[in-house]
Amino acid sequence: MEASQSQASANAALNPHPNPNSNYTNNSNSILSSTPVWPTIDGPLGLSEEESLAYARRFYKFGYALLPFLWAINCFYFWPVLRHSRSFPRLRPYVVSSAIGFSVFSVILSSWALTFAIGGEHLFGSTWDQLVMYNVADRLGLTGWS
Amino acid sequence: MAQNQRPKSLLDSLGEEIIRILTPVSICMLLVVLLVSILNSSSSLYVTSSIATIAYSETGSDSSWDKFIGALLNSLVFVAVVTVATFILVLFFYLKCSKFLKIYMGFSSFVVLGFMGGEIALFLIEEFSVPVDCITFLVLLFNFAVIGVLAVFMSKMPIIVTQGYLVLIGMLVAYWFTLLPEWTTWVLLVAMALYDLAAVLLPVGPLRLLVELAMSRDEDIPALVYEARPVTHHDSASRPVQTRIWRERQNARLDSEDSSSLNSDLNSTVSIVQSSHNGARIARVEEGQVSQRDAELSAPLIDHRMDAQDGLSTESLMLEGMGLGSSGAIKLGLGDFIFYSVLVGRAAMYDFMTVYACYLAIVAGLGITLMLLALYQKALPALPVSIALGVLFYFLTRFLLEVFIVQCSLNLLMF
Repeated sequence: MEASQSQASANAALNPHPNPNSNYTNNSNSILSSTPVWPTIDGPLGLSEEESLAYARRFYKFGYALLPFLWAINCFYFWPVLRHSRSFPRLRPYVVSSAIGFSVFSVILSSWALTFAIGGEHLFGSTWDQLVMYNVADRLGLTGWS
Repeated sequence: MAQNQRPKSLLDSLGEEIIRILTPVSICMLLVVLLVSILNSSSSLYVTSSIATIAYSETGSDSSWDKFIGALLNSLVFVAVVTVATFILVLFFYLKCSKFLKIYMGFSSFVVLGFMGGEIALFLIEEFSVPVDCITFLVLLFNFAVIGVLAVFMSKMPIIVTQGYLVLIGMLVAYWFTLLPEWTTWVLLVAMALYDLAAVLLPVGPLRLLVELAMSRDEDIPALVYEARPVTHHDSASRPVQTRIWRERQNARLDSEDSSSLNSDLNSTVSIVQSSHNGARIARVEEGQVSQRDAELSAPLIDHRMDAQDGLSTESLMLEGMGLGSSGAIKLGLGDFIFYSVLVGRAAMYDFMTVYACYLAIVAGLGITLMLLALYQKALPALPVSIALGVLFYFLTRFLLEVFIVQCSLNLLMF
């Protein structure tokens, strides 16, 4: 197996194609604009543009049900939409809002988690012991295996 | 380096496809070995009760023959349960209760990811004393479980997310299986390999029935199966693989079966994978494995029972077996992932030397199975060859090789 192909294939095996243009012999994109043909990160294996609209909208809406990971998945899946700012105008609002939602949520959650972890007992007093997970698990007997 | 026009040989694409199926199997095995070595450093005094130990609970003081007979009884019960579960799946599939199967599978995978994943996360948190609070933990766990359910069979997600979740489900169930007593685990592995062989190749085997039913109706079998990304070729005279769309996996479902007994819930995982609508390629799926949990109606106990879930039965369909997808990608059932990882995890409980030996044996078995798959072009059981080699090499290493290597090391001959 030639080394270059094996490496490209190995990269393709483990990482989704970050640049869908590399797979196409379709030369309708000029070198300068490079608008991607496929809106998803999977390239030709992913969704077409019409289906993508439905998916992007659904992911965005369901993310409000305390599922910020769905927003993250939305951004990851439609990464070409985020990267090329003038492509897929119908998809872009959903993906951008998902990105904003995910960042806001992760800021809130990480600040709370870090405060909890770093502040510890000094800050919270006795409630730290009540809130921390390993005590909760012991109290409720959740790890009754061993 | 050579000219671009050199025709690609079968070896180029075959090597790539093999790598794409070996990588997730290896990752799953590695994760299970890591979990086992982190969490089992203190020998657990309690034995988890489950369907796999219903006939006999192994204690440390029994004689070898008793243990062997007990393990045999346990495995027979287990295989019987799996057979019944598979036949029930065939029945449901025959009666076209697809919606029910799909909902059940979703429920099962949610329980596997949520509860088992949560328990293992709690073990890790306790082991490393991570100061995470319960709110953060719950939010993260909830997200993880819901997205897992969506990724595995409800919605189209990035391929790598789906593959990652399948590997994680395999890892969680495999870790659970390593908690069984030792003799039971080994006899169970052998029994499942034999069952796999029978169920796939015999004309009366449930999996074969299922595959034929699905092929005659031209439907997809509900199952959890790992499908490798199809290899694309950059030739100008490339095969149509390059532009073929990833096959819609609307049939992946989990199958679960409700146990009627009060105190035991069955998680049976049976998965069947079916692929290919094109005549030449056949997808094969095998049945999955059964994992059981005991449900206690009372409050969670602190003893050896698993955590209480009233009346919950979780079953997931896992696939054992290999086949070729409609786009030519290789498909491997999740049951295979699980049993390979169980073997390696159990080997890890002894020593790392057995881990290396068993890993190489399993990979060799998988390679042989892939070659047979290319040769026979039909669904094949992926368990027998690998499990046979793995078990053989485990016992050879443990009883023969280790003595040799230890003596060599002690006498400074070879390290």
